[in-house]
Amino acid sequence: RKIVWPPAVRRKLRRAIYDFHVRAFGEEMARVNFLPLKERRRYVAEMYDHAVRKGVKFD
Amino acid sequence: MSLTYAELERFYEDLVARARSRGVVCAITSGMACVAFGVAQSTQDCDLLCAPDSTGKLLDLLSETKLEGHPPDYRGRMTPPLDARWFRGGWTSHFAWERLGSEAYLDIFGLAPRGSSPWEAEIRGFYAGPHTVAEMKRTNRAKDWPFVTAIGARMLAAGDPRGWLHIYDETLLRAFDGAAHAPEDLLKRRPILELAKDSRLRPALHAEIQFWHELDRIRLHIYERAVRPYWTALRKSRLPSGTPLAVQHAIRVRCAENHLPVDPLRDYGVDRLMAEAREALAQMVHPSAAAWLPDVRGHFKLYSE
Repeated sequence: RKIVWPPAVRRKLRRAIYDFHVRAFGEEMARVNFLPLKERRRYVAEMYDHAVRKGVKFD
Repeated sequence: MSLTYAELERFYEDLVARARSRGVVCAITSGMACVAFGVAQSTQDCDLLCAPDSTGKLLDLLSETKLEGHPPDYRGRMTPPLDARWFRGGWTSHFAWERLGSEAYLDIFGLAPRGSSPWEAEIRGFYAGPHTVAEMKRTNRAKDWPFVTAIGARMLAAGDPRGWLHIYDETLLRAFDGAAHAPEDLLKRRPILELAKDSRLRPALHAEIQFWHELDRIRLHIYERAVRPYWTALRKSRLPSGTPLAVQHAIRVRCAENHLPVDPLRDYGVDRLMAEAREALAQMVHPSAAAWLPDVRGHFKLYSE
């Protein structure tokens, strides 16, 4: 029951998902969310370390 | 000097690896899992799912797990004990390693809130599966919902049809067109998918999101009310700083046995919870929009099974 999307539909959906990420998280985070996992984790680590240095308190 | 994110991540992943080597069934969920599933979120906490039957072994491990030479403490006076009896009823336990800038926080669940299937059946590496993570993110906090949709979209793109249960963005729902493509059983579980090409989608989607908000608001209220006598009893214990975790735990168990109901949601009644959420929703949305709400009973069936 795994869905197999035709290539043209897959491309269209990928674009729609990217547009959603831009709407929901902003341009920069949308770009980050589409990076390979290793690079995404590195970005998150930098984001966190920068926030801690600035004294941001987490929820 | 604060721990870097890489150090924190290594600390939590090492904790999970050691727990599993002792037979503890557990998996990281929420923010840290979101990063693995394609949505960046930086968090200081680690949210961990732990099978209720594994809580004793996990507590033993936590007692031995030091960060910069110090073991953790229970965090806050409202934290129930890490004990299978309360974990089966949906309570959570919270621990902190807090020493001069080196902080780590561990929040432990036995049940995945709103989980419609056992999370243990679908673990991916260190993490709970995306379906579980997305269900847990359907909270009463607006900031969580984009993460639900992002995970759902990732699941659908990867061919997992359950992703349709997690798309809460109108444009994306129309793009994925569940009415044309979603399997029959999912259309039954989430009637709104039938509206992908219908002008009624927007109000129906708004009603559905508000319904989940109300369910979570009432659920939290049930637990917050149930914890008060326990909190009052625990406040009298006045433990000095540096009390061993095993002693902290024993005192919490004693207070809980006398003052903390094991399953307040079951006592309250899931039917009553759903009826009150619908009642609250009726004040906010048009009845025609509420006609497309899902049957959410399956999301509360795991309590005290």
